[in-house]
Amino acid sequence: MPSVAPSTFAGTANVIAVIVLLTEFAMLRAPLLRSQVRLYAFQSLVVTALAVFVAATRHIDSLYVLAALSFTLKVIIVPRVVTRLLSRANVSLAGNSSLGVATMTLIAIAISVFGFFSVGALNLRSPVLPEAALAVSVGVILVAFVLIILRSDVVSQAVGFFSLENGVSMASLVVASGLPLIIDVAFLFDLMVAVVVFGVLMRIHHARNRTLSTEPLDQLRG
Amino acid sequence: MHLLLIALVAVPLVPTVACLVAPRRSSQIITIVAAAVAFGLTVALIPYAASHGALSTSILRADAVSVVFLLPTTFLYLTAAIFSVGYLRATDDPRGRRYVRRFYVGFNVFCWSMVVAPLVNGLALLWVAIEVTTVVSALLVAIDDTDGAAEAAWKYVLLASMGLGVALLGTIVMYYAGTKAFGPSYDLSYGRLLAGAPHFSPDAVRLADVLAVLGFGTKMGLVPVHTWLPDAHSEAPTPISALLSGALLTTSFYAIVRFFQISERALGPTFPRIVLLVFGLASLALAALYVLNQRDLKRLLAYSSVEHMGILAIGMSFAAPLALVGVLLHVIAHGAAKGSAFFGAGSVVRKFATKDLRQIRGGVSILPWSGTMLVLAVLALSGLPPFGIFRSEFLIVAGGLRDPNDAVAAILVVLATVAFFGLSWFTTETMLTPVTGTVPPRGEVSVAIVIAMLVGMVALVVLGVHVPGALNHLLERGARSLEVSR
Amino acid sequence: MTEVELAPAVIQALQDVTIALGAPLVSGAVATIEARLQGRRGPRVLQPYYDLIKLFQKETVVPEGSSWVFLGAPIVAFASYLIVPLLIPVLTTYGLPLGYMGDILGGGFVLALAGFVVALAATESGAPYAQLGASRAMTFGALIEPTILFVVFAVGIITSTDLPYALAASLRTGSSEIVRPAHVLAAVAFFLVVLADTGRVPVETHSGTLEFGMIDEGRVLEHSGAPFALLKWGSAMKQLILYTILIDVFLAPWGLAASQALGPVLFAIPALLVKAIAVGTIFAFIDNSFSKLRLFKITEFLAAAFALAAMAVLIFYLGGG
Repeated sequence: MPSVAPSTFAGTANVIAVIVLLTEFAMLRAPLLRSQVRLYAFQSLVVTALAVFVAATRHIDSLYVLAALSFTLKVIIVPRVVTRLLSRANVSLAGNSSLGVATMTLIAIAISVFGFFSVGALNLRSPVLPEAALAVSVGVILVAFVLIILRSDVVSQAVGFFSLENGVSMASLVVASGLPLIIDVAFLFDLMVAVVVFGVLMRIHHARNRTLSTEPLDQLRG
Repeated sequence: MHLLLIALVAVPLVPTVACLVAPRRSSQIITIVAAAVAFGLTVALIPYAASHGALSTSILRADAVSVVFLLPTTFLYLTAAIFSVGYLRATDDPRGRRYVRRFYVGFNVFCWSMVVAPLVNGLALLWVAIEVTTVVSALLVAIDDTDGAAEAAWKYVLLASMGLGVALLGTIVMYYAGTKAFGPSYDLSYGRLLAGAPHFSPDAVRLADVLAVLGFGTKMGLVPVHTWLPDAHSEAPTPISALLSGALLTTSFYAIVRFFQISERALGPTFPRIVLLVFGLASLALAALYVLNQRDLKRLLAYSSVEHMGILAIGMSFAAPLALVGVLLHVIAHGAAKGSAFFGAGSVVRKFATKDLRQIRGGVSILPWSGTMLVLAVLALSGLPPFGIFRSEFLIVAGGLRDPNDAVAAILVVLATVAFFGLSWFTTETMLTPVTGTVPPRGEVSVAIVIAMLVGMVALVVLGVHVPGALNHLLERGARSLEVSR
Repeated sequence: MTEVELAPAVIQALQDVTIALGAPLVSGAVATIEARLQGRRGPRVLQPYYDLIKLFQKETVVPEGSSWVFLGAPIVAFASYLIVPLLIPVLTTYGLPLGYMGDILGGGFVLALAGFVVALAATESGAPYAQLGASRAMTFGALIEPTILFVVFAVGIITSTDLPYALAASLRTGSSEIVRPAHVLAAVAFFLVVLADTGRVPVETHSGTLEFGMIDEGRVLEHSGAPFALLKWGSAMKQLILYTILIDVFLAPWGLAASQALGPVLFAIPALLVKAIAVGTIFAFIDNSFSKLRLFKITEFLAAAFALAAMAVLIFYLGGG
C-alpha cells in the first residue's frame, strides 16, 4: 500500500519548516559572513511566512501582528544592524571551523535526527500544525547549537543564536499558536535587546582585537 | 499591600533615571537610599507573605517563595551599593565620570531586573525578566573594557542566551502542556498553572521541566553548563561579581523552582527531583574539585558559587520539608556570605593589585578589618558555625537523611568537606600567613567596604544564631508551597 | 472515427526513438538558449546532429597499446542508454511490458554501467587527462550514489514500490502529494544530482576546454570518429534520460499518454521534448548565474544534496509525510 500523504496544509507547513532547517544547514557551510546574515534574513522571512500561513488557514488573527513585527525586526532591522557592523569591521570571511564542511553537515544531520526522534518519542499533538514541524524546529535549534559551537567567529555565533531563536519561535507556532500576543511581543522585544547587546559586545571585541574571529578568546578556561 | 509590590518594582527605577544625569556623589547616595528602601519594602513584605497566601495582581505576584528570593537580591543591592562607594573611589580611574555613570545606571537596571523577576506573575514574564538580567549583566561584565572582560562577557552572553533559548522552548512547551487543561489560549500566570497542573499532559511537562532546568541551569551555573560563570565572576567589577553570585544565580534558581513546583504537581515528585539531583550532584562534585586547585581569588569564590548552587539543587531533590526550609534559608545565607566574601576579595585585590593567590600573603595583618571578615566569610561559605550557611546546610542534610535515598546526603557531606579543604587552604595560605617580601602598606582601602562587609557578616550571624520569627514562618510557608499537596 | 491503438511494443520502441533522436535536439536547443542568455547568437539548434554525422564519417584512431575495451566501451555505453528508456515513464503513464524488467534501481545500475565502461576505456587509453577525468568521475560518483539511493528510498517509502511509474501516478492524484516534504526534498535532491551528473555548473563547466576542470568531458578526450560520436550521442541521451526522470517522475508528470491511442502518444513526444528544453533552460540559467566550485568544494555540494535526500527519508518517518 502506498503511504497516505498528509493533507495539503500539513504538507505545505512541513515543507516550510524543512526550508527553515535547510537554511540552518546552509548557514553551517556559508563561507562569507555576509551570506550568513542574508541566510538569517531569509530564514526569518520563511518563519514569518509560516506564521502568515498559519494565521490565514487557521484564522488566528493575532499571528498577523506577530508576523508583521517579526518581519520588521528579524528580516529588516537585525540583518541591517549586523551588516552595518560588518562593513565597519571590514571583515568578510567567516571563521573556519576545525572540521570540514562535509563532516559538519554529517554531524548536524546526526544531531537533528536525534532531535527528530526524541521529540517524536514524546508524542506531542498540536491542534494547529503537524507534529513533524515541531520535530523540525527542534532540529533547527540543535543545528544552531552546532553552528555556535563549531564556527569560530563572533558573527557566526551571534547569527547562530538569532537563528536558534527562529527555531524556538517556529516551535511556538506549532505548539503554542494561541500564546497571548502580548507575550509573543515581549519575547520579540527581548530578542531585540539581546541583539543590541550582541552588537555592542561584537564591537567591543572588534575594537580590542581587530578581528571578528574567536581565536583570541582563549585566555579564560571556565 | 498591592501598593507595596508596585513600589518595590518602581524603586530601583528612580536611581536608574537619576544616575543618567546626576554627578557621582549624588548617584551614590541616591542608589544607596533606593536600595535601602527596596530592602525595607522586602522586609515589610515578610509578615504578610508568611501568614497569607499569594499577593497578586495581573502581572505582579508575591508569595512566600518569591519573597525569600527577593531577600538576598535587595540585601545585596544595598550592600553592593555601599561597597561601590569604596570600590569606585579606590579606582581613581582615568575613564572617570562616564565609567561611573555607566556603572551606576547598569547597576541599578541590573538590580531592578532581579527584583522584578521573582515578582512577576507568570512563566513568560519571568523568562523575559531573566533575559533582561542577562543582557544587562553582560554589559556590566564587559564594562572594565579589558581583554579578559570582553572575552568573559562574550562567553557569558552567548552561553546564557543559548541557555535562555532552551528555557524559552521549555516555557513554550509548558504552555503547550497547559492547553490540555485550559484550551488553546490562556495566560501563563502561576495561580492558574499551579491549580491546573494535575491535568497537564505529562509528557510535555517532562520535556518542559528538563528544558527549563537545562536552560535556566545555564544561568544558575549548573555543571556542565557552568563554564561562563567563573570567567564572568572573575572579570566583572567586584560589586557586579557579588550581585552575579549572590543574587543572579539564585534568581535563575527561582525560575527552576517555579518549574519544579508545576512539574511536581503534574507528574508527582519523582521525576523533577531526579532531574535536579543529577545536575546538583554533577555541580557539587566538579566544583568541589575545582575549588581545591584555584589560583585566582575571585575564581575560587565563583567555583564556590557553583558548589552552593549544586547544594541547592540537591536540597530541592530531597523529599523532606526540612530540606526545603534549608534550601530557602540557604538562598538567603549564601547571598549574604558570598556578598561579603566578594567584597573582601575586592578589598584584597585592590590592596595587592593581583588576584593571584600565590602572591597574596599576610592578608589579615595588612587589612585588619576586611581581611578578617573575608576569612570569616569564607569559613561561613564552607559551612562552619555560627553562620547562616551552617544552619541551612545542616537542615538540608538532616532532611536528606530522612529521605529513603540517604546515600545522597552522605555524598553531599563528603563533597562539601572537600570544598571546605579547598577554601580553608586558601585562607591559611593567603590570609593568615606572615607578611613576606614587599607588601603594600597596612590599612583599609575604604570605610565603605568595611561597612558593607560588616552588614553582611551581621546578617550571616543572625541567620546562624537565631532566625527571626517572621522569617522562620516565611521559610516554612515557602517550603510547604514547594511540597506536593496530594 | 475510431482511435488507432498502438501495440505496446511500438510504444516501447517509440520511447527509445524519442530519447535517441530527441537528445541531440534538446542539447542543441539548450545550447542555443544558453548562448542567447549570454548575449551570443550561438550555434544552430540542429548543430548536434551535424556534429554527429560529421564524426561518424571521420576515421577512428586508437591509442597505442589499448585493447578491444577501448573500442567496445562506447558501444556498451550507448546500448545502456538505449535500455534505460525502456524502464522509465517516457511517454506513458502506465508501465509498458518491458518497464517491469527493472525498477528504478535497475535503471540506476544500467546508467552506472555506462559510466563504468567509459571510465574503463579512459584508463585503457593511458592518457593522463582522460584518466584524471575518469578518476574524478568515479570519486564524485561514489558521493552521488548514496544521494541517489536515498532519493530512491524516499520514492520507495512514498509509493511502497520501487517503480518510477508509481510515484508519477501518485503525484497526479492531488496537491497533497506534491507538497509532501518527502517528495519535495527528494525532488530537489535529485535535481542537484542531475546538475552534477550532467556536468553542469557548479560542478563542471560543460562547454569549457580547460582540461584541469574537466570531469565527465575529460574521459572521452582520446576517442575519435564513430566511437566518439557514440559517446557524444550517449552523453546527450544520458542528459535527456535524467531530465526525463526528473520531469516525469518528480516535477511534472503531466502530458503523458494515459492510453495506447495514437493521438496522446504522439502528443507526449513533443510535450516531453518541450518540458526537457524548459528544464535545460533552468540548468542553463543556473550555469550563467553561478560560478564553478573549486574541485574540493564539490564534495560540499554533494553533501548538500545528500542532506536533502536524507532529510526526505527522515521527515517521512517523523510522520511529516
